[in-house]
Amino acid sequence: MEFGTIEREIYVEASPEVVFEVVSSPDHLKRWWPDDARYEPAPGATGEIVFGDPDADGAVVAFTVVDARPPRTFSFRWTHPAGEAAAEGNSLLVTFELTPSGGGTLLKMTESGFREMGWEVAVLEQQYREHVAGWDFYLPRLVPYAATLQVRS
Amino acid sequence: MSAALAEKVDDDLWSAIGDPTRRRMLDLLLVEGEGTATTLSRHLPVTRQAVTKHLGVLDRVGLVRATPAGREKRYQVDETQLARAVAQLASVGSAWDARLQRIKRIAEAIQRTKQD
Repeated sequence: MEFGTIEREIYVEASPEVVFEVVSSPDHLKRWWPDDARYEPAPGATGEIVFGDPDADGAVVAFTVVDARPPRTFSFRWTHPAGEAAAEGNSLLVTFELTPSGGGTLLKMTESGFREMGWEVAVLEQQYREHVAGWDFYLPRLVPYAATLQVRS
Repeated sequence: MSAALAEKVDDDLWSAIGDPTRRRMLDLLLVEGEGTATTLSRHLPVTRQAVTKHLGVLDRVGLVRATPAGREKRYQVDETQLARAVAQLASVGSAWDARLQRIKRIAEAIQRTKQD
């Protein structure tokens, strides 16, 4: 049994340059994941992502860019304790790998570190799920062609 | 079970699994089928007393079940509860599925804007 890694692959009908922008820039990140994102998409840059209202029961989570090589690789660590440098053992590592394929991009995502971080992320995910319903509302306002999009989590 | 209680149990379950020594113990119990604090401590860099303590944590969240065996207790993994823990990790996976779908839709919408 391996609690270690989640791996996913998805084909996107968009160029690697566009997909890279969507997975790496904080402005895009907050359209598909947290409610807010503050970081420079450059290797070593530290920042944070925010779920919900931090003054209520939301959470501010540390976020450190590990690698950013447009348009092929973007990776970051998250969930390390605030003020601590992100490293193996104190955070989850998310890596996006982009491969040109046909007219689009094969996007591969891996998230590892669960052997150490399992339950903490479960708590975060729970908070996240509470916001998932909100995506059905947000996304149509953010993306053109919204009327034709079927947003389902 | 109330929602609040279910949450508490889940938190404890993840905490129980969050410790590397306890995960190693679960691995050992799965491989061996069963074990006591004494047999487990032979494979681990911790004392029998520490193993007993860890077994107590695993027992409280239902990941192992104990049967008396002389002066000790013999432990087995509770497959149902373990499957539940694994399913929770799977739900982390499905959260990523949802995110990737959103990434796809956003990127494809941008691409279409560029082509128009």
